[in-house]
Order: sequence, then structure tokens, then C-alpha cells
Amino acid sequence: MHEDEGRADEDGIYERVYTMTFYYSMKQMLRSPLKSILFFLLVGVSAFLLALGGSLSKMNAEMVWEFEDIFTTIGTVEQKDESIVTAARWEADKGDYVYYRYGRPGKWIPNAVLDFERAGYILKARQRPYFGARIEEKVRGAADRHLLVAELTAEVSDVLEHSVPMRVSKVLAGDLNVGDTVYICDHYGDSDGGYEPRRVEEGKTYIMGLHESSNVHGPWVEHIAPEEHAYEFMAINSVASNQYTMDGEQVYDAVAEAEDWNTFDEVTEGFYETERGMRWLEQAKAQEYEFYTIPVEPVDGTKLLLPFYQNEVQISEGRDITEEEYEEGKQVCLISVELARVLRKGVGDSVTLPLYYAAYEPAERFDNAYLTSILNAEGKVYPVFYEQDYEITGIYQKTSVMGSGDHNLAVHEVIVPWNSIPENAWADNIVDFEPMSAGNTSFQIPNGTIDDFMEAWEKQGVEGLDIQFYDNGYSHLQPGIENRKLMAWIFLASGCVLAVMILCFFSNLFITGQQERIAVERLLGRTKKQCALSILTGLFVLAIAGTAAGSAVGWMATDRAVKATESTTEFDTTFSNTIIDSGDDEETDFTAAGQKTGAEMAVAAGCGMMLAAVLISFGFMRQTLKKEPLQILGELEE
Amino acid sequence: MERIEVNGVSYSYQNKYQKIEAVKEVSCTFESGKMYAITGESGSGKSTFLSLLAGLDCAESGSILINGENLSEMDRDACRRKQISVVYQAFHLFPLLTALENVMYPLELQRISRQEARRQAAKCLEEVGLEEKILGQYPKMMSGGEQQRVAIARAMAAKGKILLADEPTGNLDSENEAHIVELLKRMAHEMDYLVIVVTHNPGIALQADVCMKMKDGRMKMESTKGCIQ
Repeated sequence: MHEDEGRADEDGIYERVYTMTFYYSMKQMLRSPLKSILFFLLVGVSAFLLALGGSLSKMNAEMVWEFEDIFTTIGTVEQKDESIVTAARWEADKGDYVYYRYGRPGKWIPNAVLDFERAGYILKARQRPYFGARIEEKVRGAADRHLLVAELTAEVSDVLEHSVPMRVSKVLAGDLNVGDTVYICDHYGDSDGGYEPRRVEEGKTYIMGLHESSNVHGPWVEHIAPEEHAYEFMAINSVASNQYTMDGEQVYDAVAEAEDWNTFDEVTEGFYETERGMRWLEQAKAQEYEFYTIPVEPVDGTKLLLPFYQNEVQISEGRDITEEEYEEGKQVCLISVELARVLRKGVGDSVTLPLYYAAYEPAERFDNAYLTSILNAEGKVYPVFYEQDYEITGIYQKTSVMGSGDHNLAVHEVIVPWNSIPENAWADNIVDFEPMSAGNTSFQIPNGTIDDFMEAWEKQGVEGLDIQFYDNGYSHLQPGIENRKLMAWIFLASGCVLAVMILCFFSNLFITGQQERIAVERLLGRTKKQCALSILTGLFVLAIAGTAAGSAVGWMATDRAVKATESTTEFDTTFSNTIIDSGDDEETDFTAAGQKTGAEMAVAAGCGMMLAAVLISFGFMRQTLKKEPLQILGELEE
Repeated sequence: MERIEVNGVSYSYQNKYQKIEAVKEVSCTFESGKMYAITGESGSGKSTFLSLLAGLDCAESGSILINGENLSEMDRDACRRKQISVVYQAFHLFPLLTALENVMYPLELQRISRQEARRQAAKCLEEVGLEEKILGQYPKMMSGGEQQRVAIARAMAAKGKILLADEPTGNLDSENEAHIVELLKRMAHEMDYLVIVVTHNPGIALQADVCMKMKDGRMKMESTKGCIQ
């Protein structure tokens, strides 16, 4: 019976031994089917939970990551009015008072109060001025009837309580024809209110800053039919300075103290050699400069400007200024399509911006209101405080829904990085100062931190500021995201715990519980390595099968889980979609963001599961193999 | 012709409380064609001595030569695979393999094809007197005597000519005991095996060709036939 046939040489034995190891390992594993099936199923359940939790976690992370691109949370700050005042204004054409109400702001609150602990700014809160930049091209129309300085000779002697004819004798700034007759009226002049309409004398010449107001009225214009729409002017802009310091204090100017905002002077011989005369010449020069002035707004991020944030304005050519360019203060800018036309410049060209005044008010005001004085406290035109060439990176354009938002940009506005201009370089060139408003005070915080911000802000105890947040509906989506995060972590954690428990339990069952088999195999001359293989092969095959099945099912179940959570966020996303879609040609679908289920996490979960199986089972195996076979058998016999 | 020479072998181990000198200066020789019985009281060192012969432990001093080769210098796992088989009182069969598969196992370990292993295993089982119907049964379905025969058949299948048996009849009734002893004797005398049986059953010792007695780790006596009393 001791045949030598069929025996192999020593080197060739291993291949056969491995095959037979696999064969007997599987055979013995499958002969305890209940345990094996249970092991397979439980490993599958663990892998399922891990794959599902892992896939959901990954999708959540991707979704949050994508949302960080889609959503931005910004806040705007506005100083609330301290009181509402009812006032009456005389309307000369009506011959009656018109009553109106306006908000009166309290003491100016500096934006430094917004620099507080736990604010967590991404872009800190600033009250931005806009700068006036004097360029070569005339950007304001020749027909602008609001920026005029002229000498006018009264054709009659009368009080300016109605339209009084005066002949244009000299134009110092703006578009009027010498020799034309215009009508002047102290339209709001009310003797009862302390502002008495002034008197002009026939043949005398006066210098005035003029502003077109209402239709002509009164006895001197009876020959003009209403349908002719002839307009009268009123005198505005005296030569008084309105200069401010960085702290919002007005710089002392004796002239400003002495006169009303609409004072005019009689021009006599040698008038322009007097101090007032020279101021009027400077005023005319400043007024003329305004035709060549564009507003430049320094910001820390384009999205801090509400028209951009609300998609009322979009970049139609080129690109936005990058975060790095903002951060590093690069000399780059965005310009409006209107300004690009005026300048005949495009993306990549440079524009020189000689900045000469700063106004602490929203830049949109540049188009629809006029500075009452643009002379400094010395009665001079503000000198340029900073001049630099800026490269145009993008040209923006207003969208069709322009006007639906809360704020606008000025027509010829240039947007530059805040850091591109030396800090406070404009300290001596502040032409106007108003409290913080949503149009020029904003900041960015991380998505989902509005409550934290407000909690920290309320602890500051600062009253009088109204903070509004814009997040495109992120806060409505947040509960859905948090739910999914929680669900993913529960799956992951339960998968991990279950996996460890199952692997420990079955390793104990299949390894420690099979000590006798290990001992007998050792007695039959198998090495420790072969014994380990013999026991672990079947275990691993079942673990791999269970893991693969569980991971695959977990991967497939992810889609269902996502759909289940989608139903809870559908309502919330509607709001956000509307906001974005309203101004975006490319349809943005938030519900699709991060929803594509990749198999990577299922594979990773499977690999993790197998790694845990290898580590745990090897640990048990190592402990078992430490004992000599006789020791094992002896312990078993006891 | 198998031969084991034991020269001054000593072995001790440390238990929880003290060092136990289990085998002390034992010298003896074993040859094939004979059945040897090693008797002694519990704790006399006979099982430890058997594990030294099986290469499951290493002697601290002295040498064990298997056919002239020093066991401590050999691949002891390979030695058990090819030369030495061990049979235990508790049988120690693979519980999830059938009788036939238990016997095929050592054959397949030696890279014998499954078909050939099946044939040889069946032959071994036949030689130990097991009926064909037993072949497909799992150990727990068999009687103690049948299990021990399967264990002996597995030892025979391993091809080694040295069989070490540690209380092989300890769990058997007298009828089965007689069968097993007879089988071991037949293996020694007819198949030229070197059979060493560790037992404290005087009946078995009386049937051995050579009987040895261990006491306190020392081999006290060596005689032929009827050494015990």
C-alpha cells in the first residue's frame, strides 16, 4: 500500500497543497451551512451599511462642496433711522405746502463695531466708499441739466418765488447757450419756513450753480404753453465745502458755516479776484470735472455687491476678478458695458484710474443724486490721491430683470479690489459721508452660520444697525443636508460597530472554535502558515462574497436613500432655484448637485470591511497558533 | 527499516508555579517490526516523551535520531508529514470531514491526486477493518472504536512507518480495545511499522513486544513481554 506513484518532488508540492487547502477549507466551511450563511448575511449587512453610509457621506460632502460654489451667504448692514420726521415743503408752482416724511439717522455708527469676536467672516464687513476717478473721456451727457455753473443777468427785478427770466451771460460749466433766457425760481422758498425766496435786480449779473427742477410757472411765463414743457432752474451748490474726515466728522470751513447750500453771488468787477470769486471758479472746474468722472467701487469680492449677488448684473465678457486677485490687491477691474463703449476698451485692455475723491455712500447714488459740493475745505478741487492702470478682466452687463433687486450699480461703475488701493489713501479726499447702508456695507460668512453670527452679534449690544442676510435659500436646504449627514453617520457608525462585532464573533467561532482542527493539522505536519490558510481561506471567501454582495446592494440602495431625502428638501430648493434661475441662462438644478452615486465609496467600504476581516481574523489566528498542538489538545481534553 | 535512537534526552517546562523536569536522561532504542509499550503513572513523563519523539517539542539535552538523522536538525513538520504519525486517545479527527476524507487528507498533503488519494484511503480503511458504509460518515456518527480505526487509517495513509499512539484505547470499551491492539500489533509485525504505545493499561503492555516504564521522568525498566507489575 505504500505506493510511491503520485508523489511529487518537494518544490512542486505547494501548488497542489494550496489547491487542496482551498478545497478542504471551503468544504469544511460549507459543512456548517447555518454558521456560514449567517456569517455571509451578517457580513453582507455590515458591508451594506458601510457602503450606504460611505456613499451617502461622500455624496453629502460633494453636495456641500458644490453648494459652497453655488451658495454664498452675505450680509448687509444698514444704520436704522433714529426717528421718522414729518416735514412740509413749499411748492412754488402749487402755491401750497407738500407734506412728506423722512427718516432721520441717529449718531453715525462706525463700521468698526462689526469687527467682533466669533463673527467668522470670510470677507469682513466694511463700509465702502466709492471713488471719483477723472478720466480723459467725457462720460456724462452734454445735455445734462444738473451740473451747471453760469452767470445770469436778471431781465426783470423780482423775487424768485416764481420763474423769473434771466439771460445767460457766461457759462463756466455745463451746457447752456450764452444769450438764452432761462427761468430761475427758489422753488422751495417759504418765507414762513425761514428760507425766503431771494430777490434779483434787473440788469444785475449773478453766478449760480444750477439744477433743472420743475415746469415754469408764474406771471413771467404766461406766454409759454404748458405743453411746451419748459423747465425752470433752481440755484444749488454753493462754494461751501462738505469735506469729511475718516471718522465722519465734517472738516471745518468758515464758508460752509456762513451760508446755505444754495447761495449765489452777484458778479461785480474784480469779483473773480476775491476769495469767493476764486471759489466759484474752482466750483466750476469741479463741476466740469464731474463730466469726466466715473465711480470706482473697491470691494473684497464681487459677490458682496448685491446686483451681482442677485444676478441683476452678469459678466458678459471676460471673467470675474478671482479670489486671489482680490486678496493680493491686483490692479484688475470689472467695467460696465456702457463704460467699455465710452472708453472703446475691452477685456485685457488697461484703464487709468486717477482717483480724486471718496464718497461714503452707495455708488449708485452717483447717477441719480449730485454732490452738493466737491470742493475741499480750502475751497479747491480735490487733488488726485491715487492713480494706477487697471487691467480689465471682465465687462458686466445688467440683465433683463434689472431693478427687481434691492440695489443697483452706477452706469459707468468700475469695480476694483479693495486691496489694490493703499489703505486710507483717500483720508483727505472725503467729499461726503453717510451712515452705513446695504448698498455699501456688506460681508460674507460661511454658509449655514447666520444663527451663530447673530448670536455673537447680539452679545455685542450694539443698537441701531439692521443686518440683512442673503443666502439664496441655503438655510432652507440646511436641515435636509444635516439630516442626510446624520443618516450617513448613523449608517457608517452602525456598519463599523456591526462589522467589528461580527468579525470578532465569527473569528472566535471559525478560528478559536476550530482549535482542534488546527492542532490536528499541525500534528499531520502542516506548517503554521498552512494551518492559517486552511482556516482563513474559507472565511475570506465567504467574507469577500458577503462584502461584495452587501456593498453592491448598499450602492444601489444609496439612490433610493437619496430620493427619500430629496422628498424632504424639494420644497426648500424651490426657493433657491427660482432665485438663481431668474437671472441665469444656464439652468441650475440644486437637487442634482452631488446626487450622482459613484461606486467608489461602495468599493472603499468593501475594501475597509475586508481589511478589518483580515486584521481581526489574523489577530485571532495568531493567538491560536501561539499554542502548541499538544497544549491545545490537552486543554480540549480537560 | 525504521529506527529511533534516544540518547540522554531531558526535557523540562515551566508551569504556573514551578519548573517541571518531565523527562530526565532517557536513553533507549526503537526499531520497526515491534510494538513498544511505555507505561507509567500519570505525570511520569510518558506523554511528554512521546511528544518529543513526534517532534512536537524539542529536547533540552540529548538527541533523538530518526534513522540516524538528528530530529532537532530536521524539518519536524515535514518529518511528521512523511515519517511519524501520532494517534491519540481522543481520536482528533476532523469533525467536518467524512471518514474517507479524514484519511485522504494526509495523502493529499503529499500532492497525491484526489482520485488516487481516494483509492488509497479506501484501502487503508479496509485494512483497519472498517466497512464501506463507514466511509461517508462524519466522526460524530461513528463509535469510538470506529473513530480510532479511522485515526489509525489516517496514520497509515501518511506513509510514515513510525506510529506513536498516546493511550489509543483510553476511550474504548474492551471489545474495541482488543481490536485496536490487535491492529497495532499487526501493523508492527506484518507491515513492519515501528509502533510505540503510551498507556497505563496493563493489558496492552502485556501484549507489546517491548515494554518500558517511566517514573519521575526516567525510564526505569525495559523488558520484553510482561514487564508490568
